[in-house]
Amino acid sequence: MERSGNHCEMRIKRFAYWFTGLAIVVIIWKLCLIESSVDNLQSIRKILDFHKDQLELTQQQLVFLENLAKKKSAGGLPTIYAVTPTYWRHVQKAELTRISQTLRLVPNVHWIVIEDSETKTDLVRNLIAESGLVVTHLHAKTPPFEQLKDKKKELEAVTCGDAECLQDPRWKRHRGVEQRNAALKWLRSNLQVNKNNGIVYFMDDDNTYNVKVFEEMAKVKKVGVWPVGLVGGLNAETPILDEKSGKVKGYKSGWKADRPFAIDMAGFAINLDLILKSEASFSYKMEKGYQESEFLSYFIKKEELEPLADNCTKVYVWHTRTEKPVVNGVVPGLEV
Amino acid sequence: MERSGNHCEMRIKRFAYWFTGLAIVVIIWKLCLIESSVDNLQSIRKILDFHKDQLELTQQQLVFLENLAKKKSAGGLPTIYAVTPTYWRHVQKAELTRISQTLRLVPNVHWIVVEDSETKTDLVRNLIAESGLVVTHLHAKTPPFEQLKDKDPRWKRHRGVEQRNAALKWLRSNLQVNKNNGIVYFMDDDNTYNVKVFEEMAKVKKVGVWPVGLVGGLNAETPILDEKSGKVKGYKSGWKADRPFAIDMAGFAINLDLILKSEASFSYKMEKGYQESEFLSYFIKKEELEPLADNCTKVYVWHTRTEKPVVNGVVPGLEV
Repeated sequence: MERSGNHCEMRIKRFAYWFTGLAIVVIIWKLCLIESSVDNLQSIRKILDFHKDQLELTQQQLVFLENLAKKKSAGGLPTIYAVTPTYWRHVQKAELTRISQTLRLVPNVHWIVIEDSETKTDLVRNLIAESGLVVTHLHAKTPPFEQLKDKKKELEAVTCGDAECLQDPRWKRHRGVEQRNAALKWLRSNLQVNKNNGIVYFMDDDNTYNVKVFEEMAKVKKVGVWPVGLVGGLNAETPILDEKSGKVKGYKSGWKADRPFAIDMAGFAINLDLILKSEASFSYKMEKGYQESEFLSYFIKKEELEPLADNCTKVYVWHTRTEKPVVNGVVPGLEV
Repeated sequence: MERSGNHCEMRIKRFAYWFTGLAIVVIIWKLCLIESSVDNLQSIRKILDFHKDQLELTQQQLVFLENLAKKKSAGGLPTIYAVTPTYWRHVQKAELTRISQTLRLVPNVHWIVVEDSETKTDLVRNLIAESGLVVTHLHAKTPPFEQLKDKDPRWKRHRGVEQRNAALKWLRSNLQVNKNNGIVYFMDDDNTYNVKVFEEMAKVKKVGVWPVGLVGGLNAETPILDEKSGKVKGYKSGWKADRPFAIDMAGFAINLDLILKSEASFSYKMEKGYQESEFLSYFIKKEELEPLADNCTKVYVWHTRTEKPVVNGVVPGLEV
């Protein structure tokens, strides 16, 4: 009895060993299958991204044809290349929505949207697709050392006059540099000098634009300037014109009015050919608040600036800022 | 010598008295002339205001004719009466500019702008005139005890009550029940509107609702729908989601006839944040709300707020 009992046990054990071994082999085989499936899915993701890009290009071709059909030609007006850097935050979709809806009222605009991101996002793709506008969609990630940080740091030697300005963390950041330079690079790679009648405008996504500012900038020959509301510590920052010559002789601003060009990004536009002929780009290596001044100095002298907006007496653009909303939770399934 | 000296003095004094007396009379006379000139100017100001109103009406007639000429008819869509209270602050013109430019993309809108002011301001008149929109321009001043103070947090204030009620009064005085196919929407001047929200609210039969982004402490405040019936059974909000109607002003629109048949208006006498809830309760029950925006899965309006700019000085001669 014992011997047959042991024999049974041995058979059961042997069966168990074979079974376990076989199960392990099957499991390993299945894992290999899963791994190759996952690899396939990864490559499908790349193919999907490629198809998204193709779809975006096709949609743009459609917009182009629709514009032809509607004879919505700008009627001889120059094309305004509006360069908009953008980055994700809660109010991004709202800001881009109102910017795009403003641009729908401007017939001669070519919108260049550059995401501060390593990849193009679906939020921006879809917004562009639904806008019906002529759009070039780019992306360029800001290097980490310049990225926005939410916490306030120790102040460097910021040459800023009043206490309120010193505490404003925005003064410590160069935003949009990478993205605007990506747009300049695209323009220089894709457009030829003396072939396109164009104006380049840096259109930040949180300002407010009256469509009349685009009518004004269409008159630009070299570099045009106009007042910007609600910036520089006053109700508006504006060039001061010499009474006799009508040229720009100075600036009215509550912050460093003695800058060579005390003009906000929203207060000037540059002829496309000047941009194409130059290699000037925006730089991190300058004092905060001097980006516009440094950039403009490559193209023009103060006396050559063309004052627009009724000799700088009208405000068609405002340097509005949107409050950061209180968001303590997220409703799933909604793109906000 | 003394006697002639005194005589001279007396003559000089008498001359001085007469001169002074005459001068005083002339001065008083001139002052009376100036006063009557000033009175004339005051009445000229009233005449000017009247002419401004006339000009505004005429411009609106022009807009109406232009729309007819362009055959820009809404094509059977209901008219959306967008009620926008507004008040002066540095960002007012910027806000109204982007609101009006948004509305230029909406063919079937009738904008009702109500200024929190004792008189209509030129800033708003001119903005309306340049917009090319169909606009009714009203004004209604918020009584002092409810007026905004810069240092108070927003939660302690009822903004827009007087102005929205003025708009309701205008609607009820000027439109008749069952004659106009219309929807009433309270469109605050600092929110952000995708034009699609107007396409959605055109579908409203009684009261329509949809999600509003960036309000109520979450990334969006939205009605929760019952899976079977598709009706509204509750609300997703970070603040008092158990309100009868936990919906922001921007998240609903009401059929015009319901408004005209009712006398409901906004009130100061209720808890902060319950204005929308109290107002809606006059018109509808929760179960009767019509969920829009793809069954409340799309966000077409955001409760954005614009920062108060730092303005330490004013450039003269610019309207900002």
